[in-house]
Amino acid sequence: MNRLDELRGPVPSRPHDARAIAALAANPGCARRALMDAAGVDKDRTARHLGFPAPFGQSQFAITRGNVFEALVKENGCAELLRLLRELLGLPVAQVGYQDVESVGSHLRHSHTRTLIDRAARENDDAAVFYDHPLFSLEIAGHTSYLEPDVVAFQLGGRFRIVEIKSFGVIDGQAEPEKVAAAARQAAVYVLALRTLLADLGHDPERVSHDVVLVCPENFANRPTATLVDVRKQLAVLKRQLARMTRVDRLLEGLPQGLTFDLAPDPDGVPTRSAEDLAGALSQVPARYAPDCLSTCDMCMFCRDEARGCGSTDLLGRQVRDQLGGVSLMTEALGLAEGTVEPAEGQEEVARLLRLADRLREECLN
Amino acid sequence: MSESLDALERRIAELRAEVRRAVKAKENSLARSLRGDLRRAEQAWDAAITAEEPPPPPREPETSLLPIREQVHQALALLGAPTAAKLIVAVNNAFFSGALRGSQLTSLRRDEERSFRSDPYARPYYLCAALTDRLSPARGLLADSTWAPELRVLGPLSPRVDFLTSTTRIAEHLARLAEPPASALRLLSRMAQNIPGAVEGFVQADPATAIRAARAELEVHRAADTAQRAEVAVRASRQLPDVERLFGVAAMSTLRGAC
Repeated sequence: MNRLDELRGPVPSRPHDARAIAALAANPGCARRALMDAAGVDKDRTARHLGFPAPFGQSQFAITRGNVFEALVKENGCAELLRLLRELLGLPVAQVGYQDVESVGSHLRHSHTRTLIDRAARENDDAAVFYDHPLFSLEIAGHTSYLEPDVVAFQLGGRFRIVEIKSFGVIDGQAEPEKVAAAARQAAVYVLALRTLLADLGHDPERVSHDVVLVCPENFANRPTATLVDVRKQLAVLKRQLARMTRVDRLLEGLPQGLTFDLAPDPDGVPTRSAEDLAGALSQVPARYAPDCLSTCDMCMFCRDEARGCGSTDLLGRQVRDQLGGVSLMTEALGLAEGTVEPAEGQEEVARLLRLADRLREECLN
Repeated sequence: MSESLDALERRIAELRAEVRRAVKAKENSLARSLRGDLRRAEQAWDAAITAEEPPPPPREPETSLLPIREQVHQALALLGAPTAAKLIVAVNNAFFSGALRGSQLTSLRRDEERSFRSDPYARPYYLCAALTDRLSPARGLLADSTWAPELRVLGPLSPRVDFLTSTTRIAEHLARLAEPPASALRLLSRMAQNIPGAVEGFVQADPATAIRAARAELEVHRAADTAQRAEVAVRASRQLPDVERLFGVAAMSTLRGAC
């Protein structure tokens, strides 16, 4: 663990939120991201200091829109949500209980969530349907992160379900696949946290359903609609990634002594370390850039620049990279295609395909 | 007035034709001067058409002579259950002055508590909090201090019961009115959509059907909710002094028997 502190420098470790944990699952093969997250490095500041600030972040308008829609779904004791669950899952009319976990004050929310979930799991019949504003915790690489799902629903066949309220529209039964995927990854984090909590309390973790309820506005109106989303795959990826973080020692073994990503901030918090020096330190850890990183990782612009600099095939997207298995540079791929580079052992198949593609291209052009 | 508009429109059409002719004949300077005339004619037409419309009377913001707490009390008396600020504003908008804004209600409960603490029972009623089963004030809900204690506390079923009660009360009030305001019917339709059997699809809700459906669901929950509320109310009256019975307990450590 000391090695991780050394990597981070003398600043407090950055806690993870559900979005950050979900982003981990988006690119499981990236050692740089795994290491920086395990050490709790502030990636946003690092990227800023390197001169590659990340282009994303939620707009204030999107946040307000999201909050308004969430308030609409939850108003009057989750009246809208109740209608949706009755239609979607056939919730019995008698089941309408609502518990606001936040009524105990924010400092007790986590323990109150535990108490309520424990009681619900014990006495099936008497429990409420909705647990609003719950607070879960999840251990990530030795640090506790606190997570706030929108609502936890219970009493649907004695199973808990995570409800995720998102403000992107489902138009004619279709939503943007990327946004649904992001919501599913985020919900998977909550499912995992709730399963961990149940296992911790001595209940069967499988009582948390792997189907999450995704609530979105329908068509162009503000009327909510609900769908079930299966997050088994996201859960599996997430578990693997979290297991990797705990086995981060193996990644640490190969690192040179004295390597650190410390920004060496002065008393005012202004980084004093030179950007080149920091970039040098980062390049010691291999990254696995893919175009999807642009929407999830703070370091994306730096990694993209690096991948461009060395002409890596990663830039072409995951699918092309996988097809070019074992050929990591574009110059190498072009050489193989034109026949100027002899394929190494194991590259014969790729080289044959590349030559074929090159011949087809020549024929088309002539 | 309209005659001059007609004349202007004819003139604009002529000018356009002339511009086209001039451009075709490649007479650039003539075209430019004609375009100038055309623009002036169009501006004159714009001025004439706006002059025709009588200027809208300056809209007086509807003001109510009642102070804010009276208006909130009016809405609460109609609804008959602890209610969130948003619904109070919606009801005020639908039935009463419509001058109430959500932001005006944020400090209301705190002001009432301060007034009660400095001079208890000086006012005929106080706008107070609804108490949760831990006897803490429920977030965002307002209640009336003259209501029975059972009505001012919440069990797990109470949010739903209160929602059904408020819908019934709104529908009953609508049925009494000879000319129900459209905004109130919209409010009822929106609420009725979340009650099974109260309204079909997106059509306007019928107050009588809505009342029937809401009462039917209310019957399912009433017994359990009444028992839970009575238990919390007894606990509150046994453990709490007057001011906390109305405004809730802030510190959690003093509580016994909760959860």
